[in-house]
This record gives sequence, C-alpha cells and structure tokens, in this order.
Amino acid sequence: MSNTPSPFRHRRRRNQTPTPPRRRGRTRWLLITPIVGLTLIVLGIVALEAAAPQVDTPDLVVEDLPPLALEPGRSCTRQTDDTTAAEIRAVILPGARVSSTQVFRCPAAYDGLEVSYAGEVVGEVLPRDGGAWAQVNDDIYALRVGPLVGHRELDGFNTGLSVWLPDGLHEQIEEAGRAGRRGDVILIRGTLLRTDPDDGAGLTIRAEELEVVAPSVTIEDPLHVPQLIVAIVLALLATGAIVWSRIVARRF
Amino acid sequence: MALRPGADDVRLIAFYLGKVLLGLGLVMLVPAVIAVAVQEWNAATAYVIGASLCLLIGAVSDARFATRRPLTWAHGMVIVALAWLIGAVFAAIPMYLSGRFGDPLAALFEAMSGLTTTGMSVINDLDHTPIADDVYRHLLQFAGGQGIVIVVLSLFAAGGSRVATLYVSEARDERILPNFIRTARFIFAVAGTFLVLGTAALFVALLSAGFTPGRALYHAINLFFASFDTGGFSVMQSSMIYYHSFAVEIVVMLLMIAGTLSFGLHFALWRGRPRDVFRHIEARTLAITSTLFFAVVCFGLLRAGTYDTLDGLVRKGLFTLVSAVSSTGHQVNVGETYLTDWGVLAPAAIVGAMAIGGMASSTAGGIKAVRVGIAFKTLLHDVKKILLPESALVVTTYHAGKRRILRDETSRAATTILLLFVVTYLLGAMVGLLYGEFDITQTLFESVSVGSNIGVSIGVVSPEMPRGLMAVYILQMWLGRLEYVAVFALLGYLFSLARGQAKAA
Repeated sequence: MSNTPSPFRHRRRRNQTPTPPRRRGRTRWLLITPIVGLTLIVLGIVALEAAAPQVDTPDLVVEDLPPLALEPGRSCTRQTDDTTAAEIRAVILPGARVSSTQVFRCPAAYDGLEVSYAGEVVGEVLPRDGGAWAQVNDDIYALRVGPLVGHRELDGFNTGLSVWLPDGLHEQIEEAGRAGRRGDVILIRGTLLRTDPDDGAGLTIRAEELEVVAPSVTIEDPLHVPQLIVAIVLALLATGAIVWSRIVARRF
Repeated sequence: MALRPGADDVRLIAFYLGKVLLGLGLVMLVPAVIAVAVQEWNAATAYVIGASLCLLIGAVSDARFATRRPLTWAHGMVIVALAWLIGAVFAAIPMYLSGRFGDPLAALFEAMSGLTTTGMSVINDLDHTPIADDVYRHLLQFAGGQGIVIVVLSLFAAGGSRVATLYVSEARDERILPNFIRTARFIFAVAGTFLVLGTAALFVALLSAGFTPGRALYHAINLFFASFDTGGFSVMQSSMIYYHSFAVEIVVMLLMIAGTLSFGLHFALWRGRPRDVFRHIEARTLAITSTLFFAVVCFGLLRAGTYDTLDGLVRKGLFTLVSAVSSTGHQVNVGETYLTDWGVLAPAAIVGAMAIGGMASSTAGGIKAVRVGIAFKTLLHDVKKILLPESALVVTTYHAGKRRILRDETSRAATTILLLFVVTYLLGAMVGLLYGEFDITQTLFESVSVGSNIGVSIGVVSPEMPRGLMAVYILQMWLGRLEYVAVFALLGYLFSLARGQAKAA
C-alpha cells in the first residue's frame, strides 16, 4: 500500500515537475543568443572604431601667443569666498592674457579688467548694429590639435568666451570653425564684462583690437574604408532580412 | 510564488523589441541621408551600420517571432524597460563610430541622455561636429520625447488594446482619447503643429540675430527638437549663450513651457477649454512652485550680487528656472559659474525646481507636479482629520481633467514614487562624493539634474568624468524616465526567470 502514491501526492509532484527539458532549453537559448549577439556587436564596433585612419596635425599648433597671466588653478565662490577674487584681481596686469577656464573659475576677479584673449572663431560671426558677436574658443582643439577629425586627441568640452567685435574689427575674420575646419585664430585686446548690459547680463569681452594670428585651415577626413565595407555588407543583409520578413508576414 | 516565463513569453517580448529596433533604424536613416547630402562620408557609413543592424535584427525578430498573442501588463512593463535600455545601446553605435567618445560607455551615456531627453552631453569637440551627428542627437530627443515605444507601435499600427499596456508602462498614464492609437496620433498632431510654428518662429528670430537663412533653418530645427521635447542638447557647446538674442530666448522659453504641459492639457487647449488648464492640480502646483522658486532665485542672485538688473534676473534667472522646471536643460551660463558666481541660494532653488520637474504625460522629467500636488493635498487631508471630530467624514478632492476624490491608493502611489526619486537623488549624490573630486553642492545638483532628466549641469558631467559615476548616471536617467515601475517589473521578471515556478504544461 505504501508503494502506491496517493492522488494528492501525485498532483503535488506533477505541479512541482519542472518545465520539460526541451522547453527550458528553448527559453535558455532565446535568452543567451541576444546577450552573445549584443556582446559581439559591441566588440565589432570597438574594433571598427580602432581601425579608423589617423592623420597628423602638427601644423595646427598656434605659436607666439603671449603667456597666460595665471595658471588656471584658482577658483572662487561668490558669497563664501570673495578674498580669492580680490587676490587674483591684484596680480592681473592691464592687457595680460587670460583663458576662458580661468575666467569661469572666478568671474568676479576679471570684471571690468582690460585683458588679452586668444582663440578660434567657431560657428558663425553674427552681425548686429555696430558690430558682431563671435564665439571664440581657446581649448586644445582651437590652439593645438585642431578639430577632432582623423585624430584621437580627446580633451573634453570646447571652452570659450563670447566676444563683441565692433565694426572695423569683425571684417578681418574670413572663416569660422566648423566640422573639418579650424577657423581663424584671433588675438584680441578688450574689456572683460561679467554682466554685459548689452548682452542681457552675459559674460563677454568687448574687443578694441584684433589680430588674426592663424588663418583658417580645412582638414580632410580620410575615408574609413573598412567601415565603408562593413556598411555595404550590413545594408545588403538588412535589405534581405526586410524582404524575408515581408514575405513571412504575408503568410502569417 | 511567481511563475517562470516560458519561451513563448520571451518570443513575444523579442517580437515587440524588434519593432522598436525597426523604428530606431528608420530614425538613423535620416542622418545617413543628410550625411550623404553634405558629403560627410564617414558619418554616412556610421549611420548606415547603425541603421542596418537595427533593421536586420528588427526584421529577423519580425519574421521569426510574429505572434497575435495579447500583451499582459508584465509583458508591457518588461518590453518598455528593455526597449529604452537596448534602444540606447543601439543608438550609441553611430555615436561611438564618430570617434568623439573616449569609450563605448560615454557613447551610451550620450544616447541615453538623448533618448530620455536629459540633454547632458559628454561629446568631445562639439563645435566641430559634423552636421549629421548634430541632427541625429537632436532627432533622438524627439523620438525619446514622444515616447519611442509609442512612436514605433503607432507607426507600425499595432492594435490599440496591445499598445495600451506599453503606453502606461512608458510613464504615460493619461489616456486623452478613448483609443490609445488615437491618443498617440493626437500627441503627434500636437508635436507636428508645434514643429511648424516653433521652427518658423525660431527661424525668424535667428534671422534677426544675424544668421544666414540656411544656418538659421538648421539651428531652428535643432533648437525646436531640443526645446519642445525638453531635451536640452545644443548645436554649440555654449548652448543658448551662443545666440545673444532675447527674441530667441523668448521663443525657446515658450517652447519649453509648451513641452512641459501634459498632452491632456494640450487637448483641453486644443478644444478651447482653457478653464480646465487653470483648474488642473498639476497646472496650479507648477504655477505656485515656480513662482516661489523664482522669488527665491531673484532674492539669491540679488543678495549674492550676481545680477542687479531686471535684464539679468529675467534673461539669466528666469530662463534657467524655466529650463529647470521644464526639464529641458538649455543653459545661459557656463555650468561652472553656477558654483563660482551664483552664490548659494539661487542654485539651491534651481535644484528644488529640477527635483519637481514638469507635468506627467508630457515630455518633461522629474517627480512631476501632480505627485507633489497630491502629496500636499494628502498632508492637508491628514491635518484636517486630526483637527476635526473623530466622527467627521473628511473628503478631499482635486481637479485632474474632472473633479476627483483623493483616495488612499492615489496618495500612496504618488508618495512612493516621490520617495523613490528623492532616494535616487541622494544615492547619486553620495556616489559622486565617493570619488572625492566634487563637493555636495556639485554632486547633489548633478544627481538631481540627471535623475530628473533635466540636463542643467554644474560641471560634474564631462567627457573625463569617472566612469563609475557615469554608469550610475546612466542608470538614474533610465530610472527617471520610466519612473521606476517598469524597471522594477523587469527585475521581478528576471527573478522569475531564475527562480520562478514553472508553468503547468
């Protein structure tokens, strides 16, 4: 009698029986395949990016610029630390060259000072009554390695200042920087305003003198041939897959 | 005990994820065509690779896993949670191939930021970025802002009842019209109308700002996507500073406000019922909190001596506040200057505004005004109950489309999500502090900004930021966009896969 399982025990055992091996195996396969596929895609993309052709851009280093007045390390905080601003202000001589990073770290220190500033004009020069606005960047892409085309000198965000160029100055700029082009690099001398009343309290430099220290340069982006081949192969495969799926969908 | 999902469930999920990838592939074809038109050949091949991979996988899953099985709530939640994650991975492919990101994680950050309309960027040398890359980044915000799953399924005309679970799972719980497909199409109609009007207004403002017609159109389209979809990406690193135009700022502010309005309120305005907007708990909460925060921002900026003119308070203070409340993230200041030049009080008010965010069922992020309003009503309700005699029946109502009674489950749902957001903000801030490079002001500001999908940055997020922190921020953006529930459902589903009881054969 004890060898005969009761219906209740039998039911319990049936409920606890795992999914049949084939069914579980299918589920596992359906889960593993996309993970492996995604990993392969990521690895392939990384390898493809690493194979991108590189170009040298040594000619783009802008030399003979006046040295910076300060190392860009010191920052101040309005309300809680106003003494740093006063200390920085005390050592900046009229016409000394500043960088945008220095200014953002302590805008109050430079308010109203006469400074020099060097950088690349990017985007477009926006003409207004009596002059034009220009965005002038002084980051590594502007002054050393050029736009991020065909090289891997990644150095973070672009940094720069807004500059007001009165009539008579902005006409000297021939081209601004864009994709594949380092724009004119200019050296200006003017007054830095923390809250420019003519720019909605923006931080600007009102230029009084301008010199183009390096003309614009166009950099060719070398064609990434392996990427082109991969693109063609994948496009053909994708087209085939779409045609196949349409045929299957009609039958479904 | 939870039931273990079977192969049929996985196939169903794979089928819908494939649809989403098909949609993403179509999105990538737009910059591919633009790249060919402007002869940016490497960008063109990168987008063809990205689009082909999406279309290939989408088509294969369409052919292999086609099904007429209905979606359950669990399926809907899992599909949406995975769609945003896998979508971001595939969206990152052309970004990484552009060579402007140090590693795949940074490209994933940018893609997730775009899709979730956060708008924080870690791209190197943005000011020299090819046109196709710029358009793609902004287009991603449009797809994400409209809700990529809804975009795809309404395009591929899946049945309304099937989309219902996905619609709600994608943190869009307001059904405007009886049919979900019609609701999704109404959302498109609103976006389309604003696209035409907003781009035209921006085009005129940019022409008056000194742009040539071609460049004005290019900037106008990108600015529209970034503003109406409350994204915050920009064509230039200097964001709104670049334009030097009050007219452009006004149009952008109006678009940001339009983007933060729920589609339900857009529908009320569309039907000529502006009273519904003024009575709505969310509109009132947002109006009250924004007014209070603006007062604090002005007081903080005046007290710190940052700005002492109306011009400065409006063009810098008000714009930043609208950008924060709407969860857009456009900046009129360089991020670092919020720390060095804004004093203490004004940035704190901006953090508060970012935490609350915009309205539910809009493109905005954050806790959402409706939850804050309901939490406040719950507090008032509880105080009333204490003060009145025990026998008194206290009924609290609020207006959300129609007059509703405040029920316990509504209060609990609102306060739970509110609490989850707050905990995530704090955890993100603490992880930032662990690196020892930033102070609490910076890490809290940035954590709230990414967790609410805002995008205003104080300078922590950068291409060189610690990779662990970057991974945490990716997670925060994902959680914030889906408002937690779908992600928890996914985790539960994964647990069931591993430990759940098998379904009866």
